[in-house]
Amino acid sequence: MKMLLNECKIEIIRIFRNPYFVFWSLFMPIVFYFIFTKVVNTGVDDQDLWNKHFLMSIAIFSVMGSAIMTLGIRMVQERNEGWTTWIKVTPLPSSSYFISKMIGQSAVHLFSIAVIFMAGIIVNGVSMSFVEWLSCAAWILIASFPFLALGVLVGTMKRVDTASGVSNILYLALAITGGLWMPMEILPKTIQQIGSWLPAYHYGNGAWGIIRGQFPEFKSIAILTVYLLLFMVLSIYIRRKQEAV
Amino acid sequence: METIVEITNLSKEFKGKKAVEDVSFSIQSGEVVAILGPNGAGKSTSILMMLGLLHPSSGEVSLFNQRPQEQKVRERIGVMLQQVSLMDALKVKEVLALFRTYYPNPLSMEELIRLTGLQESELNKRTEKLSGGQKRRVSFALAMAGNPDLVFFDEPTVGMDSTARKEFWARVRQLADAGKTVLFSTHYLQEADDVATRILLFNEGKLVADGCPSTIKQQLLKKTVSFKAGGDFPKERFLTMTHVSDVYEEKGRVVIQTEDTDHVLASLFTEGTPVSDISIDKGRLEDAFEQLTVEQGVS
Ligand SMILES: Nc1ncnc2c1ncn2[C@@H]1O[C@H](COP(=O)(O)OP(=O)(O)OP(=O)(O)O)[C@@H](O)[C@H]1O
Ligand SMILES: [Mg+2]
Repeated sequence: MKMLLNECKIEIIRIFRNPYFVFWSLFMPIVFYFIFTKVVNTGVDDQDLWNKHFLMSIAIFSVMGSAIMTLGIRMVQERNEGWTTWIKVTPLPSSSYFISKMIGQSAVHLFSIAVIFMAGIIVNGVSMSFVEWLSCAAWILIASFPFLALGVLVGTMKRVDTASGVSNILYLALAITGGLWMPMEILPKTIQQIGSWLPAYHYGNGAWGIIRGQFPEFKSIAILTVYLLLFMVLSIYIRRKQEAV
Repeated sequence: METIVEITNLSKEFKGKKAVEDVSFSIQSGEVVAILGPNGAGKSTSILMMLGLLHPSSGEVSLFNQRPQEQKVRERIGVMLQQVSLMDALKVKEVLALFRTYYPNPLSMEELIRLTGLQESELNKRTEKLSGGQKRRVSFALAMAGNPDLVFFDEPTVGMDSTARKEFWARVRQLADAGKTVLFSTHYLQEADDVATRILLFNEGKLVADGCPSTIKQQLLKKTVSFKAGGDFPKERFLTMTHVSDVYEEKGRVVIQTEDTDHVLASLFTEGTPVSDISIDKGRLEDAFEQLTVEQGVS
């Protein structure tokens, strides 16, 4: 148990020392938030609601990115460098190594969420009840699991270059088709239709529901669960195949 | 004495190509064993199988009479692989501290720091900022973190300068003196001869010789001078020469086995022995070991 806690702590330290993480997961989302709520006139009717809505989008954008990219690319790196192999000959159980990565990553996500919410309060004076803030944070944290699983799937790739290319494309495509940059309604019809079957939209949709006083839709929860299982099964399958050498 | 490593009929095939073929040996506690062989001989593959990192195509491995994957085994072994890597974004001290938490009876932090041989300023550096040689030193200390009874080093001295190499072997000797079992792989006969109490000679996936360094060295360095002798050959006189290890007849030719062919030739001529059709041949093993560096170049 002490081993696991220590391992989590180490993972957290390593993520924060990564300049890309700080830039892409904390700095950029906040800059986006500032631009799309303060600088660019989006012409929305209800500016207050938009400020809240976009705050959720951007927090999700941040967490989704770090789940897919930080986790996935790091796993490929550690395997290529041989660290993953070395860890296997120490008494540290492989499961601890894995679990600590998930827990560490989630702890960092919680921090990102807090920072971005804080930015919303400071930049736009977004106000919600404590319970609303809390439910939003909880949703963003828990519904990030399918994306962590996607990160693990990216983590099974052989080369760092491929992993980083693929995860970048996945990340941006998911963010756009999920309506995280601009509301779904203003996207072309076909993209809307595709997007409504992809996980990112449903990730956002849950939080957008909460700020409007609704419980996340059952359909969103169901679709996210299916993706979680799909990604898990796929990465377990690929791992098995790779280990069979 | 306790059997620490037991390998039986171990084989590994990669896509139909045999990397290790039917290798068997066992290692007793306190032995310092060198796996010697040229590139591609199957040294790393054998070590990876002994560590349970690679599934053998057939055969068995046991360490401390258990499967190598057992937690109890992992607590008692230390490993330095051919490809050294350290977790990035961590300071050297942090990695050392992390590894200590993995083992039930770790060495003290002071001891580990001493083993790295690094300065305070380097200990506070991030691992990715270390030089290749410094990384190896840290990785050696990490291998020792759990105060292991059995250590594996796969080509440990590659990339070390001669001082570092000396220091490294001095540490290995200390381990041996402390009764630990050591298994390392190398290309250098010299290294194996200096440090090991036993050499396992690998070539093309097979264990071609197993014995103490002096025997192996003899087999490796042995050459033959053969010729047709006119009349009776004074076999006894040649057998008593120090550098001659054997004299025998084969297919109508006299064969003299020696480490020093020049000397044998000189003796043949000074004795005025009537010989014809002389040929000099490399020993049985040396053919296979053209690639094997006998002496380590000074670098
Ligand atoms: N993962 C792999 N897939 C396919 N072939 C492999 C693999 N690993 C090793 N081999 C092959 O197995 C043979 C033995 O390789 P191994 O790495 O064990 O040699 P080695 O004795 O450690 O050599 P070196 O001194 O160069 O480290 C080589 O012919 C190599 O090409
Ligand atoms: Mg090797």
